[in-house]
Amino acid sequence: MGLKRMGVVALLVAVVTGLVSGAMAAEAIKIGVGGPMTGAYAAFGEQLWRGAEQAAKDINAAGGIGGRQILLSKGDDACEPKQALAVANRFVDVDGVTAVVGHFCSSSTMPASEIYADAGVLQITPASTNPQVTDRRIETLFRTCGRDDQQGMVGAEFVVKRLKAQRVAILHDKDTYGMGLAEAMKAHLHKLGGKEVLYEGLTRGEKDFNALVTKLKSVGADAVYFGGLHNEAGPLVRQMREQGLKAPLISGDGIMSKDFLLAAGGPQFVEGVYMTFGADPRRMAEGREVVSRFRGAGYEPEGYTLYAYATMQAIAAAVKATGSTEGTVLAKWLHDQKAVDTVMGPKSWDAKGDLHLSPYVIYRWTDKGEYEEMP
Amino acid sequence: MTGVAMVLRHSLWVALVALLLFFPLTGLLLDGYRLTWRWELPLQLAGGVFCLTLLGGLVRPLIGYWRSGRGLSGLVSSSFAGEGSASVAFFLRAAHGSRFRSLVRVSGFVLLLLVAVSLPFLLGKYWLNVATLALIYVLLGLGLNIVVGLAGLLDLGFVAFYAVGAYGLALGHLHLGLGFWEALPLGGLLAACFGVLLGFPVLRMHGDYLAIVTLGFGEIIRLVLNNWTAFTGGPNGVSAPFPTFFGLEFSRRPQAGETAFHQFFDIPFGNVHRYIFLYLVLLSVSVFLIFVIGRLRRMPLGRAWEALREDEIACRSLGIDPVGVKLSAFAMGAAIGGVGGVFFAASQGFVNPTSFGFHESALVLAIVVLGGLGSTVGTVLAALVVTILPEFLRDFADYRILVFGLAMVGMMIWRPRGLIRPRRPLYPSGEGG
Amino acid sequence: MDPFLIGQQVVNGLILGAIYGLIAVGYTMVYGIMGMINFAHGEVYMIAAYLTAIFLALLASFGVDSVPVVLFLTLLGTVAFTALHGWAVERVAYRPLGRSTRLAPLISAIGISLVLQNYLRLSQGARTQGVPPLLEGVIRIPAEGAGGHFVQITYIQVMIVIMALAGMGVLTWLIQATSLGRACRATQQDRVMAELLGVDTGRIISVVFVLGAAMAGVAGVLVTLNYGSFDFFIGFVTGIKAFTAAVLGGIGSLPGAMLGGLVLGLSESFFSGFVNTDYKDVFAFAILIGVLIFRPSGLMGSPEVEKV
Repeated sequence: MGLKRMGVVALLVAVVTGLVSGAMAAEAIKIGVGGPMTGAYAAFGEQLWRGAEQAAKDINAAGGIGGRQILLSKGDDACEPKQALAVANRFVDVDGVTAVVGHFCSSSTMPASEIYADAGVLQITPASTNPQVTDRRIETLFRTCGRDDQQGMVGAEFVVKRLKAQRVAILHDKDTYGMGLAEAMKAHLHKLGGKEVLYEGLTRGEKDFNALVTKLKSVGADAVYFGGLHNEAGPLVRQMREQGLKAPLISGDGIMSKDFLLAAGGPQFVEGVYMTFGADPRRMAEGREVVSRFRGAGYEPEGYTLYAYATMQAIAAAVKATGSTEGTVLAKWLHDQKAVDTVMGPKSWDAKGDLHLSPYVIYRWTDKGEYEEMP
Repeated sequence: MTGVAMVLRHSLWVALVALLLFFPLTGLLLDGYRLTWRWELPLQLAGGVFCLTLLGGLVRPLIGYWRSGRGLSGLVSSSFAGEGSASVAFFLRAAHGSRFRSLVRVSGFVLLLLVAVSLPFLLGKYWLNVATLALIYVLLGLGLNIVVGLAGLLDLGFVAFYAVGAYGLALGHLHLGLGFWEALPLGGLLAACFGVLLGFPVLRMHGDYLAIVTLGFGEIIRLVLNNWTAFTGGPNGVSAPFPTFFGLEFSRRPQAGETAFHQFFDIPFGNVHRYIFLYLVLLSVSVFLIFVIGRLRRMPLGRAWEALREDEIACRSLGIDPVGVKLSAFAMGAAIGGVGGVFFAASQGFVNPTSFGFHESALVLAIVVLGGLGSTVGTVLAALVVTILPEFLRDFADYRILVFGLAMVGMMIWRPRGLIRPRRPLYPSGEGG
Repeated sequence: MDPFLIGQQVVNGLILGAIYGLIAVGYTMVYGIMGMINFAHGEVYMIAAYLTAIFLALLASFGVDSVPVVLFLTLLGTVAFTALHGWAVERVAYRPLGRSTRLAPLISAIGISLVLQNYLRLSQGARTQGVPPLLEGVIRIPAEGAGGHFVQITYIQVMIVIMALAGMGVLTWLIQATSLGRACRATQQDRVMAELLGVDTGRIISVVFVLGAAMAGVAGVLVTLNYGSFDFFIGFVTGIKAFTAAVLGGIGSLPGAMLGGLVLGLSESFFSGFVNTDYKDVFAFAILIGVLIFRPSGLMGSPEVEKV
């Protein structure tokens, strides 16, 4: 081979690689995943990240979005509004994301959403259930989970009509999510003509609720509603049972995790615990394959994992259909759809960005340490 | 040769202990009530420790050799305690620095200021937000520096005053309709009142008892903000208003009858305008406060603060009223913290109690200590490092806080007196602190 | 008011207080010797909780199922390894500081507690962990109290009280009656003088850290068995409360730590039980401030003497 021809070949190779890599770089679609990756809520941040990561992997393996690969970037807000703002600014300004999956805590989602709205970036939260999130009517903000007021209503109906409880005690963990849930529960309880015998907040991070449990006994509670997460719900129900208080404990999506069983200390303590949650995504036909893929990788896709997966799918569907990365275009498309296929079944959104259908159902924990949908 | 052998043996020992430490917590992974074994991770970690120790052991003698030329000057440094009334007398005497040095300092300062002013026009929104936060921590650091660095009162609940300022703006807007400009002085004033309120009963306590009481006070403020839902919005927080530009709003669509900033100047609406404006206001307030603190330190009050830190008994015998002086330091520090809080609320547009945990107090204290306890320049530098470093570490994602913690320990080991040695401007030259 | 409910709240408070006291001992001992607040102590207790679960699972996987044997071996293993961690923390984060400044160890402690928290988060994951109930059973008075009219204490809670008393007893004996204890007290009173008299103060400081961590290890085992669950963040809340207990009792004093723990535990449980749970922690800190205003060196601390 002559020098000249070699030179031509080298030039050709360089041009082709340059083109390919250039095309790859230009075409990658960046999506931010924001949530508490460190701090007290890190377990939930992990669920979000795992779900989004798996979805991106699956979509990329199937050829990406119209041939464009998804590139994730992780943003740790530790559930602090201050860090959520930093993450949001970083996503928008440094990473140049097309859309955001997140955040987890409603108190992070709300301030961050202002930044995304200003920048015209699509934001879909898989987990922030506080009504305020969508009630502010931000055009580019959606959620793939339900609302606390719906959840509280289902909970109140259940407590009054099915459990026939007369003396309901309502507890919460003094946090945006837990208190929002407890407030919703209280409001609907009043609507149904009931009245709570106790309404108090415990401290997140503590394990000893014995004094509170003794107080529950003294007011003669025959049902206890708890707005909060499994970290506190577990010890609470254990101490109730240990002190011989057999009243049922009803809670929301915050205890939807096998970790609740661990936190409670075993199956003998969780009998008589009920919770409201969307129909279990893991049992839907659409999700079977994805769930088995998660389990194959040694991860149980609990809680919000599949919500994050579905969120990513919705974003991918919107980008694919519109061919745009403009938040407002994507948002309009999502608002217009009758059904977007996700791992959790077809989804559609109303004008606020809430799901049209987010049916909450009641689950019951059994003495075997499993939870099952109530008939 | 024996030296190398010793280093090797020492490293082996350290690695062995490290293996013992790492084995249960990293080698045995909890999975429900069962365990998963992970042999390789503790071995790798211990191997890493071995390499590091070995490297350290081999390099250290070289550094020692290089340093030995410098003599003992680094070792002979005046400690805070035990200087007695002689140093108190120094503080009470005025002295002038050399004229040339002050010229260099002024020109350097002006150059820095120019850079700081031009920054928001060069940075993107993300880094502008980081810079704003950094400046807020500069304010907090300056405030706490008066209490801890100058007056020598260990305050672990400084975040309380920060929270008072931030909530002062948010609640003042919600309940009284106050704007940013009214809240700025009022927030500082309110925080100062809280400082006096706390300071009055507790200032006769000593050292660490004072520390824990302030810690308790900080927690009380946060808990009340969190629990008093009817007034403060509880965990849901409250939204806070943006500052206006001499009455002009920074919104895209101003309220009826108002003119927005971009309409008035007839420029296209830019979201970033309000952040740039806030940054510039914050910068000027910071510079103003740095100037005020510099002046205060030369005034009798400031000298009394430092004198009190050095020796309380000597001060009393010289006729200084310790409670009054401590109270003034507390109130001054609290006021600056409150101003920082007002800026924080304005820059976030939203406050909730999670921003005011103990962690925040610890961070501000770390700034003051890293800055060298009493040095204004050091505090400013440390505040910039402590806020900007974690943002750079975001690329490490999961390891961010771990690395930050290691950096704190490392700084204390290698530079326990902070980045900048506190310079005491009132000493005659040659008498370095 | 039902006397059984009051009695139950007393029991609740005593148990909580005993736990605070056990952890407070670590703060008080280190403070006594070094005059520094060891903020990383809460994290050492958190490590003990993880070690407890690991040892329980390890013993279960070896097929050991006799409850006393499991209990003994877990306690032994956890205390030993927690003590090792306490020792390592001192070597890595405090000893290299020498006697630089008063605040350097404080910042270093805050740094190391961030490190330990995130080390556990990264190595064991962020999710809640738990242990199976080991020792079940409860003493009720009267035994057949109908409709919740009884005062009860579980076996684990009985163990907490016994171990707290035993631990305090052993420590008091160590400090008061052994030569090691004499060296500790000498170091506490005057470090330089103790050194001049041939006390290896570096070793004494190590010993104090090890003892404090060992007590945190005991607390970690008992608390984990009592509440059944933990995560990498538990060190913070418990640590602040235990530290408050130590200061309340008079920091530096061993019986003070226990007394402070009991006062804190009882007041928390009474306030929560009879007034309002929301403001329980506000009340706890208010008590602390109130006590310190009237007794500036805590309930049992000796007043500081100012020397000129």
